[in-house]
Amino acid sequence: MAHRKKNRNVGIIGVGQTKHSSHREDVNQPEMIYEAVSLALQDANLTMNDVDCVVHGNMELFEMIHQPDMWHMLGTGAYGKDSIRITTGGTSGATISCAADNLVASGMYDIVMAIGFEKLQEGHTTAGITNMADPLWFRKIQAGALTGSSAYDVSREFGLERANRVSLTYRIIMDKHACLNPNAHRAFGLDFSQIDDLIKSSPKLVGDLKLIEMCSQSDGACAVIYASEKKAKELSRRPVWVRDHIAIHKEEIFTIFGYNRAFPVTKSHKFAAEQLFKRNDIKDPLNYFDVFEMYDPASWWAIDWLRDFFDLKGDEHLRLIEDKEVMIGGKLPINPSGGVIASNPIGATALVRVAEAALQVRGGAGDHQIPTPVNHALASGFGGTMWTVLTMLEKELNW
Amino acid sequence: MAEYWGIKVEDIFNTMQERFRPEGAQGVTASYGYDIAGEGKWKVTVYNGTLAAVERVDGITGCVATMSADGETFVGVNTGKVDATNAFMGGKVKVEGDMGAFGKTGRMFRKFVIAKKEMSTREYIEDMFGTIVSRFKPEEAEDVDASFAYDLGGPDGGTWTVSVKDKKCTIATTIEGNPTVTLEFNDAKDYVDFILGKIDAQTLLAAGKGSAKGDINLIQTKWPVMFEKYKDPMGGAVPEQELLVLKKIISVNQKYATGPVMGRFLKGLKDKKIYGNRCPKCGRIQLPPREMCAECRVRVSEFVEVGPKGEVRYMDVVYYALPDPLTGVARETPYGSIMILLDGCKGNETLPHFIRKDQIEKIEMGWNEKKGTRVRPVWEEKRAGDIWDIKYFEIDE
Repeated sequence: MAHRKKNRNVGIIGVGQTKHSSHREDVNQPEMIYEAVSLALQDANLTMNDVDCVVHGNMELFEMIHQPDMWHMLGTGAYGKDSIRITTGGTSGATISCAADNLVASGMYDIVMAIGFEKLQEGHTTAGITNMADPLWFRKIQAGALTGSSAYDVSREFGLERANRVSLTYRIIMDKHACLNPNAHRAFGLDFSQIDDLIKSSPKLVGDLKLIEMCSQSDGACAVIYASEKKAKELSRRPVWVRDHIAIHKEEIFTIFGYNRAFPVTKSHKFAAEQLFKRNDIKDPLNYFDVFEMYDPASWWAIDWLRDFFDLKGDEHLRLIEDKEVMIGGKLPINPSGGVIASNPIGATALVRVAEAALQVRGGAGDHQIPTPVNHALASGFGGTMWTVLTMLEKELNW
Repeated sequence: MAEYWGIKVEDIFNTMQERFRPEGAQGVTASYGYDIAGEGKWKVTVYNGTLAAVERVDGITGCVATMSADGETFVGVNTGKVDATNAFMGGKVKVEGDMGAFGKTGRMFRKFVIAKKEMSTREYIEDMFGTIVSRFKPEEAEDVDASFAYDLGGPDGGTWTVSVKDKKCTIATTIEGNPTVTLEFNDAKDYVDFILGKIDAQTLLAAGKGSAKGDINLIQTKWPVMFEKYKDPMGGAVPEQELLVLKKIISVNQKYATGPVMGRFLKGLKDKKIYGNRCPKCGRIQLPPREMCAECRVRVSEFVEVGPKGEVRYMDVVYYALPDPLTGVARETPYGSIMILLDGCKGNETLPHFIRKDQIEKIEMGWNEKKGTRVRPVWEEKRAGDIWDIKYFEIDE
């Protein structure tokens, strides 16, 4: 795959995020975006006059507004500026980040603001997702993004009891993280002592995928400001450098569900991670990264995907969770923010991963800041029937 | 009774009658129980779409569903201070009985709006004149030597003189000599509304409710510069109100060209045949057929008939009542969404469809080399060239 080195370095110098919630009837869409935009500008100590270009994205069919960037301009501040709109399924937020990074790296703009947005309460998420499917036939069969296939795969390989407990352990770790994040949508205050009870009591959605294990449907917006190396050093005391990103798309394909391992198919998470680590010469990603902000729509998927991202063998991925190595204080903390299970404004979600990873590297995450030094961060985005975007962030410009 | 955000649990019940929305209760006849820990029990009865009774009871009987929560959670959920779903999922709200029926109560009542304590005209007048000196901006009063007299009528009225001289501001409760400007209002309340921006000067003057004498130009141009605008301590001039949420349904007719490849697949279904196509490079069968093999980036032109029987590789048992995206009607649950490896296909070349509802329990899924349950399609009598020409698959016995 042809991939060139960046024309110039790019740093993240501002991050803004709304509280994620299912009760934002108090604001309309532009007003909600404005909240994130003004917070990001405040964070970077800039005004809208300093921003050269705005990249805007969400999932149109969730709120049923075609080209929402027109209305949203009241909140994005894009009036009279170059503005680019991007939508790529669940990975929208991550692709917005890639675009902003590329636009600055190319030399075309010095400061670019990426904005991800979603107000899921205003539409119908399941209908929106179903309308992503091929309208000639699959739209009629599909129903949203719910599937128990990961639960089935993990259970068949490691036994239902262990699989269930690992899934709930992961879920409770995420809840403990969410309780530290004032922006998180769902923060229940769950405890590990509730695992057995929740396995029995949480209503099943599909197969062994339970309500407690599935992500929320949130309203929220996120804005991140990217600047060229020169500008970033001038304007920010602690810029976070975007080292590299990769965005892998696949055909719409359904052979990933309960498949026969004797006939391997390309798995985009594994494929993307391998490519990215190879070209950046990261030999042991599990040890290299200090935090991983993962797009984890459900705890089952998270525990399954961990293996793909880090090319883990045997039951290593399960043991990382059982030993709570993915919790703040562990070997590789995942989603100190509580992740997607806690807050999921879909078009913003993958950008929130980058934003939260940047906050961790900068040391400004507040109560959910990892106490040990964070020098290298990884953020993922996920969409469609397995599309992957990965972004690598660094504290120092020394790679 | 304890108060939460200034509201008692009984306030929520006492206002149910005025918050009732008949349009949200059409055709409903049911009683709902509320067990609020440490506060009491209530029974709310809806009869044929009208709110028949809200009563405090000793014991809850004859209800389709009973909700239990503590007082804080209950008030919080009803006022929007606490997220209802969070409270339910986290176990702070429990519902016994018919969950679906209870869910309908959400549409029956408008949200309880926390009314702010209102300020009286007298309190406003006191606050408005009491803050004048602190709102004065001396740097804007260079060379100003003027007195502004206010004569307000009505029960809350009175007289005031605001004097500005040598960049200093003083206030007195009398009117003496010859003020530079004199404003008269028949009713102090109109003055309050004027300052709060609820009524404009022209309207007051035109209605004969007030008058201005003297150097009117001075008060119009200089006053707003010399004094900071009065800030309403209540935040807004009116009590907090419910913001409107617009509800819409978009329904659009659509038609999609199927093209020569998917068109062939759909035409096949009409003839009770299932076609895939085989990649000339990697040999995989795509089902339904695709114009090209995305992995090899080559055209695929060889059609192969597969099935119609096969084995179940995977089944999602769906419990969650998802609405059918094309009709909006919730699908009957549970249902089984299956991935079928049709005869002639190998590996992961599966086709998604549904299993006969009463056979979900009997389905065995395949796993690597292990075979799954054998199934066959059940065809519609009248077929249109549509994936639903296959009604569902059933066990091939």
